[in-house]
Amino acid sequence: MSMDDLSRGSGGWIDYTIARAIEWPGKAFSLLCKGGILANYIIAILIILSLNFLLPRMMPGDPLQAIYGDEALVAMTPQLEADLIHRFGLDLSIDQQFIAYLSALAHGDLGYSYYYGESVSQVILAFLPWTILLAGSAMMISTAIGLLLGMESGYRRGQPLDKLLLAGVIFLSGLPDFFIGILLLIVFGVSWRVLPLSGALTPYGDLHGTALALDLLRHLAAPLAALVIVRMTSTYLLTRNSMIATLGERYIVTARGKGCSERRIQYMHAGRNSLLPVVTSVGLHLPNIVTGALFVEIVFAYPGVGWLLYNSILSRDYPLIQGILLMVTLSVLTVNMAVDLAYRRLDPRVGNAH
Amino acid sequence: MHIDPLGEVMGRSTGRIGLLLLCLMVGLALFAPMLTQYSPSQRTDASPFSPPSKDHPLGTNDARQDIWTRLIYGARTSLSVAVGVALLSGLISATIGSTSAIFGGLYDRFWMRVVDAMLAIPAVIIVILVATYLQPNLMLMIVLISAMSWPGGARVVRAQTLSLKERMHVSAAKTFGAGWRHILSRHILPDLGPVLLAIMIQDARAAVFMEAGLSFLGIADPSMISWGKMMQYARVFTYLDVWKWWLLPTGIALSITLVGLSLIGFSLETALDPRLKDRREA
Repeated sequence: MSMDDLSRGSGGWIDYTIARAIEWPGKAFSLLCKGGILANYIIAILIILSLNFLLPRMMPGDPLQAIYGDEALVAMTPQLEADLIHRFGLDLSIDQQFIAYLSALAHGDLGYSYYYGESVSQVILAFLPWTILLAGSAMMISTAIGLLLGMESGYRRGQPLDKLLLAGVIFLSGLPDFFIGILLLIVFGVSWRVLPLSGALTPYGDLHGTALALDLLRHLAAPLAALVIVRMTSTYLLTRNSMIATLGERYIVTARGKGCSERRIQYMHAGRNSLLPVVTSVGLHLPNIVTGALFVEIVFAYPGVGWLLYNSILSRDYPLIQGILLMVTLSVLTVNMAVDLAYRRLDPRVGNAH
Repeated sequence: MHIDPLGEVMGRSTGRIGLLLLCLMVGLALFAPMLTQYSPSQRTDASPFSPPSKDHPLGTNDARQDIWTRLIYGARTSLSVAVGVALLSGLISATIGSTSAIFGGLYDRFWMRVVDAMLAIPAVIIVILVATYLQPNLMLMIVLISAMSWPGGARVVRAQTLSLKERMHVSAAKTFGAGWRHILSRHILPDLGPVLLAIMIQDARAAVFMEAGLSFLGIADPSMISWGKMMQYARVFTYLDVWKWWLLPTGIALSITLVGLSLIGFSLETALDPRLKDRREA
């Protein structure tokens, strides 16, 4: 939870807006420019691209090593070296190099991983589905749990259940997700031996149908639980705050006055209306869930992008590291932009807030 | 807006527990040399992986180093990063946020554009990217984390300053011919205090987490004694019993620090958010 979560207090129906935005791309684009959102994202992307470009070239020593990593030196021959220097335009001036770098990226060329002997994009694509599975399910489950608990807690503000939930959640929100992962690993994997220690599927299991699905879930359970435990806390706190604010509105008094049942007030009046800021905040939590997933994958040796990143750091496979981080950042930026766009379109108050 | 931050924190049980946990870690860090007879990198005479004993309260690791010693010296690293980032990032947030609000115009628009763009970028990923190349030591890590964490605070400070700017006593000072320097230092900064404190606590928490995360990934300066790195090494030996006195206590120390800061931050934020203020709730 952060001050930012609290200050972004208004929002609207995301799905509806995304549908509208797709329907009228022209309108959406003009809206983007109007809000200056597009400029923000262009600046953000430029910052990242410049960092990606400049960092290896600013390193002391041979830039070729910093760009290609230690693994490339093993395979290095004079012929290859000349090829690489030419390919990266390392004999060119720095601005020509930057243009060469950008045009390679525009063609989807993220470089070549000498460790895996494949192009970086190929390597990442092989690991990506597991991260999408882990982060995606963590996002849905943590939002659902956070919403439910938050609605119950906010409605019963100050009562024992609320106090217990709030204290528990504040405590959990402080814990680092990779340590929760380690705890789950030790308890369920090492001590009780009920869950597998690593991987996403039993190797050479040759399973099909239900058995395969069960095996997948067994491997997914612990990393997913570690992420959900930490990540549901921000949704919970936001829903609780939103619920408390909504319960103070006058229409709640009206509802009580006209004799609505408490259940109806809790879910239909207060609950539904406190949903809006939470829905819009889902996209804002995406970076946290993704970076959380990267760390949790390392703990469980779960074969996603985080595990790939960890191994490429160990082997100093710089093109792969850069490719992973660039791809993760770009996907997070894309989702954030969609969310930004969605809730400005829905709720004009946000767009005029500056 | 006259909020007494210490009073608010001490008046809530969450705040009190948070302060207690944090004081515990600060105590360990400050008195580290008195709490152990070894130095953190020293190879002791005990055998590798020896279980807890009188000489080694948490046993020894694979390199025959005393784990308890490394644990309390690790607190020094974590808390130094926390304090450093809180001060540096808080200073940048306060300076840019308050001057943007006061000057307005192009200056304000420039900085808010920078803030918006930076808030869109996932900070952890940029820090990982830069750290991979630079292998940051303590100072560099503080600068690196601060460089990514100030924008959120700057926006909050700006909003707060904008509302403070319209207060009566500021108008009164302006009428008497006070310059912006005087108004900033005498009327606005003192009232910004509680907000700034909340921001700094958050920055500190994020910094402890990030330092541990970077060390856990193995991209911090290898000579640094860090909880994250201890967990990275210890993680490999989960098949032995050593995790009980190596991995677990390290993770708990990290968690105590983070939970302590979260609790303090939470009680401060509740005090600052008028919507959550309620006479009924303690």
